[in-house]
Amino acid sequence: MAKRTCVCFISLMILLGGRVGAQDTVTVPLNIRAGFDISGPVMHLIGSDLTSYGAMASLDINEQYSASLRLRYSSYSISEFNYDFKSSGVSAVISGDYNFLKPKVSAGKYFTGIGLGYGISFYSQEASRIEYTNPWGTGTDSFSLSRHTGHFIEVTPGVRTELFPGVSIGWNLVLRMLISSGAGRDIKPVWMPGFGDATSRMSTGAEYYVSITIPYKKIRVAIKPKKELTDDEGEENPESEPSGSSFAPGSRL
Amino acid sequence: MRSLKHITVALLALIIMLSAFSCSDKACYEEMDPLLYTSLLESGTGDSKKADSVRVIAATPSGQVTLFKQNAVTFFTLPLDPANDLSEFYVIVNGVSDTAVLTYTRRPHLVSAECGYTFLSDLTGLRTTHNIIDTLIIENKSVSLDGEKNLRLFY
Repeated sequence: MAKRTCVCFISLMILLGGRVGAQDTVTVPLNIRAGFDISGPVMHLIGSDLTSYGAMASLDINEQYSASLRLRYSSYSISEFNYDFKSSGVSAVISGDYNFLKPKVSAGKYFTGIGLGYGISFYSQEASRIEYTNPWGTGTDSFSLSRHTGHFIEVTPGVRTELFPGVSIGWNLVLRMLISSGAGRDIKPVWMPGFGDATSRMSTGAEYYVSITIPYKKIRVAIKPKKELTDDEGEENPESEPSGSSFAPGSRL
Repeated sequence: MRSLKHITVALLALIIMLSAFSCSDKACYEEMDPLLYTSLLESGTGDSKKADSVRVIAATPSGQVTLFKQNAVTFFTLPLDPANDLSEFYVIVNGVSDTAVLTYTRRPHLVSAECGYTFLSDLTGLRTTHNIIDTLIIENKSVSLDGEKNLRLFY
């Protein structure tokens, strides 16, 4: 009796083990992406004072983490009733991105996640006209072209999807926190390339990237085993098979 | 995942629309005028002393301009000439007039993109007559937007 029970148990283990092993991993392609931001040129076309061109490259490190580099050239010019200001420069942001989607859902094509990055801006600025008026009269001044280096931190929640094989589109909301404008307290830039209005510690923006996706490696990722439904659990596991197929005939819903 | 594609495209349209409608000029709400803060003190004791009346007139190139006129005050604030490194004031305390000349250096300071620039000053010297003013001394040479006390006027 004991021998038959043991053989039956081992057979069950082998059967179950084989079934679980087949469903426990998923193949995910890791990609390299290169693209450009289309929001900058669009904004310029609709009459913005800002000219901004951005390019990005990213590399999937594993199924959920990726590293990215975003480069941007910006030129800003504004003429107000009491000052004229110009700035231009190049900024670079290096960031780590985390995909909230499960590997089986993302499949190397979809991203809904958040990035945290460090940005550096190499820029020049000048104010060719500064006017200030009080009861005495009007004082005028200016400052000539000067070069500075600014630093900031970026948080970028966003989404990305595959438009068609090999091409992705995605947008990021960008929240930036200024570490330093590098220009001192008095002549902080009205617009710091890559950051925005540097008179404020925080700035926001949005980027919209079209990118080419090139898979460079495929990895097998273990996924959580399918969860059995019990009487206490009313919800289906999102990673389980489509509705209905995971229930044994006659099981209660 | 098709819905993610739709969301992504819809958001591009939204971003463009919001950007197009957000180009209106913003108003300036920040304080723009750095003021020279002068405390009125009793000569000898150094205690705060309320003046019955204070009037301060600026000798501008285009004529005289009253900058301050108030009764029963213990301090007054004045703007400096933003076009020159020297401001000349006629200070009339309780009906008695003195002349005070202040020298300083100026530098532009960005208040905000909406407001533009103002001029902050660092006091470098002062001269005064002594009809009612006993002593006028610099307490803090930086005339900024912080509202810090700059001069002590003993009378």
